[in-house]
Amino acid sequence: MQTLAFWILLLIFVGAFAAQVARRVQLVAAAPNTFSLDHLGFRAGRFLLDVVLQRQTIRERPLTGLMHAFVFWGFVAFGGYTTVEFLYGLGVVDLTGARWFHAYRIALTPFAVAVLAGILYLLVRRAIVRPVALGPKLSIESMVIALFIATLMITFLLTFRLVEGSTAAHVNWWVHAVVILVFMALIPASKHLHLVLSPITVFLKSPELGNLPNLDFEKEQVGLETLKDLGSKSVLDAFTCVECGRCQVNCPAWGAGKELNPKTIILQTQDALLAGDRGRKLGEVYSEKVLWQCTTCGACENQCPVGIEHLPILIGSRRGLVSNGDAPDYLGAMYNNLERRSNIWGLGYDQRTKFVQSAALETFDPAKHDVLVWLGCAGSFDADFQKSLRSLFGILRAKDVKFGVLSKERCTGDPAKRTGNEYMYQELATGNIEDLKAAGPKTILTSCPHCVKTIGDDYKKFGYEVEIVHSSVYVEELLRRDGAGIHSGPADAGVGTGGGSSAREVVTFHDPCYLGRYASKVDEPRALLTRFGADIREPERNRENPFCCGAGGGLLFADKEEEPGSRISDVRFKQLQATGANTVVTACPFCSIMLKGAQASAQADTQFVDLMTFVNGKLTKPS
Amino acid sequence: MILVIAEQRDGKLNRATWETMVGAQQLAATTGAPITVLVAGAGGSAVASDLASAQVKEVVTVEHAALDPYTPDGFTAALQDAIAQLAPAHVLLPHTYQTRDFAPKLAARLDRALITDVTAVKGAGSEPAFVRPMFQGKLTADVVPQGPAPHFVTFQIGAYRVDQVAKGASPAPVRALSVTVDAAAIREKPEPPFQQAKQAVDLSQAERIVSVGRGIKEQANIALAQQLAEALDAEIAASRPICDAGWLPMERQVGSSGQTVAPKLYLALGISGAIQHLVGMKGSSTVVAINKDPDAPIFEIADYGIVGDLFEIVPAIIEAVKK
Repeated sequence: MQTLAFWILLLIFVGAFAAQVARRVQLVAAAPNTFSLDHLGFRAGRFLLDVVLQRQTIRERPLTGLMHAFVFWGFVAFGGYTTVEFLYGLGVVDLTGARWFHAYRIALTPFAVAVLAGILYLLVRRAIVRPVALGPKLSIESMVIALFIATLMITFLLTFRLVEGSTAAHVNWWVHAVVILVFMALIPASKHLHLVLSPITVFLKSPELGNLPNLDFEKEQVGLETLKDLGSKSVLDAFTCVECGRCQVNCPAWGAGKELNPKTIILQTQDALLAGDRGRKLGEVYSEKVLWQCTTCGACENQCPVGIEHLPILIGSRRGLVSNGDAPDYLGAMYNNLERRSNIWGLGYDQRTKFVQSAALETFDPAKHDVLVWLGCAGSFDADFQKSLRSLFGILRAKDVKFGVLSKERCTGDPAKRTGNEYMYQELATGNIEDLKAAGPKTILTSCPHCVKTIGDDYKKFGYEVEIVHSSVYVEELLRRDGAGIHSGPADAGVGTGGGSSAREVVTFHDPCYLGRYASKVDEPRALLTRFGADIREPERNRENPFCCGAGGGLLFADKEEEPGSRISDVRFKQLQATGANTVVTACPFCSIMLKGAQASAQADTQFVDLMTFVNGKLTKPS
Repeated sequence: MILVIAEQRDGKLNRATWETMVGAQQLAATTGAPITVLVAGAGGSAVASDLASAQVKEVVTVEHAALDPYTPDGFTAALQDAIAQLAPAHVLLPHTYQTRDFAPKLAARLDRALITDVTAVKGAGSEPAFVRPMFQGKLTADVVPQGPAPHFVTFQIGAYRVDQVAKGASPAPVRALSVTVDAAAIREKPEPPFQQAKQAVDLSQAERIVSVGRGIKEQANIALAQQLAEALDAEIAASRPICDAGWLPMERQVGSSGQTVAPKLYLALGISGAIQHLVGMKGSSTVVAINKDPDAPIFEIADYGIVGDLFEIVPAIIEAVKK
């Protein structure tokens, strides 16, 4: 009788689970296939770290993450127990009396205690502490599920106390089993679907941050216009979101009080997909205005613990808008500049030529030169950034590195790509690739992190592969080889923490998103600074998770009036100021432009030094 | 004969007309043809004497009830009749929004060649070529119009400098030309013109701009820059930090995130010249920069640079201008 009842209950709840999952599977299957399994080794390693060992969950929120890991590991550990009890309940086979099962149950007790501690911690956090990342509304369903999990653990622990075969033991078994079944039926429509999907999405997430495959114009691809254009990975992502809000609290736009919230974007996708109208325009689903507030800094995607990729949705939707002529006015002006003059400023290339001549740069020749220096839009035209490049040239010459430049350059296409003007990007990229192939460098050196990303990652999608190194990395390796600078710090600084530390120059370093986050180069710039005796005061949000300066994604050109909230650059500048260091070291021309602008607006006396200028200054100073 | 179509609104001449006049005078130098200037609309007579100061054969005013307010149908009909009466070899127009509105229609109506956005006149004799940009300015083409006269040519704004207009020894005669227009055939019913409220100040049209940067130090010192602007009959503008601080309204910001300007004179006071500011004013004809830092990037593009304290220099300039 009880066996039959359990069969019926199981079929009802499994059926409810399956029906809800099937709906979502259909939506994923209907989407254009964007799943990829390249770099299997990398994916397997990341799976081990981020799923099995919960690295990504623990990294940003150590205590909460650890509590989550307890619950996760407990769930996995309980897999065998639940199977055995269900087989028993269904009358298939009774293994509950086996000796190994008894040992297994005993082994599970510490897990049960850990899960109980973990879930109670998470419950208190959600119900009472209520961090902003979890949203303003208290999720009743999350409360219920937390209580379910607690119940499961308590009923498990009670089995050691209750007399086998007693009514109490019977009731206890049923409570445990029914809670599991109800829990299962609640999963698909809730954020708890991540239990099932996140191992898959973590495995499927692109190894490259901000991976945006080229559009194929021959196939009349124009980017994402409506819901049905969203790729299968994006659709799967929408159902995987665990609503933890890491993307939200790390988003510089959200942090500066703008409307963009990456978590909202994912949840809007989910709601819109389930609502069923697949022809709905994405500009309506998310609001066009919000789509233009993203700096493409990549914080959302990089911090997501469940493998969600936000950038393909945000930039993909921009592509759809641009294809229909719906870009903000300031971008129209920039596109004109790119189209007519091949640079973002709209200046004539005679200015680059003038700089190349005045800095006595040679045209690259692989027989004569070790590296090709890529100047970029800033290096070609921005007099301020040209000082940084002259410093780099000084260092290279002092270390006898032979280098040359291209006789002509175009913008790499980064601002076109990140704002969704794929056609313009491809035009610029293919032209540059042709010139680079003809020049034939083995190594390209540049001071612009955006150029590193575009030439290094995006050009690969045209089949052009080259080693491109940011100047901070190149120069650090160069100096490390011959030990420069180690002894050239202030004489009293010594090796340890002597009393001379007051003589050390106090600086703070602003990691560019496209260097720290996209390229994971965080130690080299710091090594350069400490090599010459700098005392680095770290700002909040640093290293692989910096707070954007606000320039990326075409927002360098945005009008303040079109931006709600504060300027992202102003917010970042305050964070840097809060370190107490009066010198900010930058390593990206666009960060420098934005932060200097913020400094001027704040009327602060903070000094800015470009990293290369800092290093060159120390190298040339007679000791 | 070369016919220049002047553009006016409410008795105020569009500056681009003078630029087209320079083009006409260059064309006249190659072909030897005389120039007639036609100005249409009720405000035409107000600017006719001004136009007559140029070295031209005559100025013709065309007034008709159907020409005010402007409609493409009314203009096309009136000019069609005027061209029939005057029989020009070339019809030259400034490449303004209004021209873009009616000129293609007029040329198509007459089935004559139209060359737009011309930047220069080339060649000699009876077959002059007109230079125009192609492929978004990547190439320029020399275009020779084919077919019977008249040939229509529109000149890009800024193709010529207004101060290159040759003035006549004595004013050219002005006469009125009557045309017939079937008012019933006008299909457009224009609303009164209005300016979008967003930008109350349109710096892009200013001839002279005094622009203030962080070197001005305090809000109280803005008054000094304002005095200079008044003395020069210039608009006042600023770089980003000044507008961010609220010392001047946002609409007066010049740069990549503000307005793009191209005045004849751009006076930069205490502006370092960060690239995002430079791109907003690089089109200025003459840039004068005052800055105490000799390494300031603004000096890279300044035609005249003064290294020094703007609080000493600006009062001296004001005094000199007032003299």
